[in-house]
Amino acid sequence: MAETRKVYLDHSATTPVDRRVVEAMLPYLTEKFGNASSVHSFGQEARAAVDRARREVAALIGARANEIVFVSGGTEANNLALRGITDASLTRKNLLNGSSKSKGHVITSCIEHSSVRGISEELEKHGWDITRLPVYEEGIVRIDDLRAALRPDTVLISVMLANNEIGTLQPIAEIGSLVREERKRGRQLWFHTDAVQAAGRVSLDTEALGCDLLSLSAHKLYAPKGTGALFVRRGVRLVSQNVGGHQEREKRAGTEGVPGIVAFGMAAKCAREEMAERSEHESELRDRFEAGVTERIEDIVFNGDRARRLPHLSNISFRFIEGEGLLISLDLQGVAVSTGSACSSGTLEPSPVIQALGRNDELSRGAIRFSFGKDNTVEDVDYVLEVLVRVVEKLRQLSPFNKLSTLTNAAEGLPSR
Amino acid sequence: MYSRIFKDHIEKPRNAGELPDANAVSEKMNPVCGDRLRLMFRIRDRRIEAARFLAYGCPPTLVCGSMLTELLVGKTVDEAMLLTRAELVAAVGGLPSRKQHAAALAIEALRSAIEKKNSGGKPAFPTPR
Repeated sequence: MAETRKVYLDHSATTPVDRRVVEAMLPYLTEKFGNASSVHSFGQEARAAVDRARREVAALIGARANEIVFVSGGTEANNLALRGITDASLTRKNLLNGSSKSKGHVITSCIEHSSVRGISEELEKHGWDITRLPVYEEGIVRIDDLRAALRPDTVLISVMLANNEIGTLQPIAEIGSLVREERKRGRQLWFHTDAVQAAGRVSLDTEALGCDLLSLSAHKLYAPKGTGALFVRRGVRLVSQNVGGHQEREKRAGTEGVPGIVAFGMAAKCAREEMAERSEHESELRDRFEAGVTERIEDIVFNGDRARRLPHLSNISFRFIEGEGLLISLDLQGVAVSTGSACSSGTLEPSPVIQALGRNDELSRGAIRFSFGKDNTVEDVDYVLEVLVRVVEKLRQLSPFNKLSTLTNAAEGLPSR
Repeated sequence: MYSRIFKDHIEKPRNAGELPDANAVSEKMNPVCGDRLRLMFRIRDRRIEAARFLAYGCPPTLVCGSMLTELLVGKTVDEAMLLTRAELVAAVGGLPSRKQHAAALAIEALRSAIEKKNSGGKPAFPTPR
C-alpha cells in the first residue's frame, strides 16, 4: 500500500488559515495595533481596517456594511440573535421582569447546531415555548410543518441554512417569504438563520433569503478562530447581550478584535471571488469519494438528502462498527474525520441529528462525516478510500454484529446481514 | 489522548475472531451505551489454552478485549478470576475516567464465561458455524 500521508477531511469543524489571510492580518498584530475606538491616527487606521472588513463580510452575503455586527464566533452570533430578539420582544411587551405563564413562542428545528439547541433549552427554562420542527429521512424541514407551528405569540423562527453534520440545505427562502407575508399582516415575527456551515460554500443573499438575522463564523472560511458576525437587518431591534461599551452600534460591547476581523474580511473576499471554483472542486472530490465508497464497501447508508446539501460534505453510516473506532483507526493512518458517535462527543446519546433522520442507534453510532476543503486533492481522496476500505474491513472482522453472528443477532433482534 | 500500547492494539488487534472449539463463552453488553464484547476461551485442565474476542463499541472496548485475551492465554482459570479492572486499565496504558466502563465490561464478561464453565452451564450464545 501507499505510504502514510496526512489528509484533513474535517473542514466543517475548522479550516486552516489561508496564506493571504495571514498576510492581511499580520500588520494589525504589530505596527498597526491601534484600538479602533481611539481617536488618534493609530485608532483611525484600525477603524478603517475594521470598516473595510465589514464591507467584505457584508458583500459575501448581499448585506449592507452597517448590518454586520462582529462577534467572537458562530455560537456568540447565535446567542445574540436568539436572546437579543426574545429579550427585545419582552421589552416591547413590558414583560422583561414580569412573570407570565409563557413569555412567547420560538420555532426552531431538531437538527440545529448545539449552540442553538442549548440556547433554546435555556429559553425554555425561562418560560418560552419552543417548537422543534422535524426533518424526516431527508434531513430537511417542511414548510407546511412550519406554517402549522405558527402561533399568534410566535416571535422568532430560527432554522439553520445548512446542517453541520449532514450538510442538508433548509428551505430558507421559502421560510423568509412566509415570514415577510406574516409581517405584512402586522405580526411582530423575526427570522434568524445559522449560516456558519453554508457561508463561502454556497452563495448567500440576505435579500433573496428574506432572513432578518444570519450567523457567520470566520474559521470555517480559512480565517482564524475567535471571530464571527451576526447580520442584523436594518430596522430589526435586538437587546445587546454584552453591555459596557458602544462598539458595534451598541449591539456588542467590547474592543473589536481587529486582527481577527481583518482576517475575516480577507477570507470573505477570497471566498466570494473563488466560491464557484471551490464548490466545483470540492463537490468533484466528494462525488469521487462517494462513488468509491459505494463501489468498494458494503452495508453503508448515506445520511441526509444527497441532492439538497452542501457541496463539500458527505455523511455515511458504516453498519456493524462504531464511529469512534473508525475515527481513531483512520487517524492512525493520517486521515482526520469526525463522528457523531456518543463516545466521541462525551455524551451517552448518539448524534441527535442522525437520530432525527429516523436512524436506529447502531446507524447513528456508525455515522462518519467527511468534509472536503479547497486544498484537498484527487490523490487525497484515493488514499482515503484505500485506507477506509482496509479499516472498515478490519473493524467488521472484530464486530460481533458481522455476518458470522447472524444467529446470535437474530435471536436478540439486532441487525444482521 | 491514548497510549502507544493502546494504539498498537487498535492497529493490530490480538486474537480477534471466532474460536470454533471454545468451551467457555460470554457476551456482555453495556446497557447504557450499547458497547458489546464477546469472549471465547478453550479451557483444558483448568488452564486457558486459547482466547478470542469480538467487540462492538468505542476504541477502549476493542482494546480491552484484545488486551484481555493476550493477558489470559496460558493462565489458569483461578489466576484469570483474580484479574481486576484496574490491572486491565494499567495494561492498556490507562483510560480516561469516562472510558473505564470498557474495562469493567471486559472483566464482567471474563468472569461470566468462567463461572458458566465452572457451573457446567452451556454457553449463553451458540458458536456460529
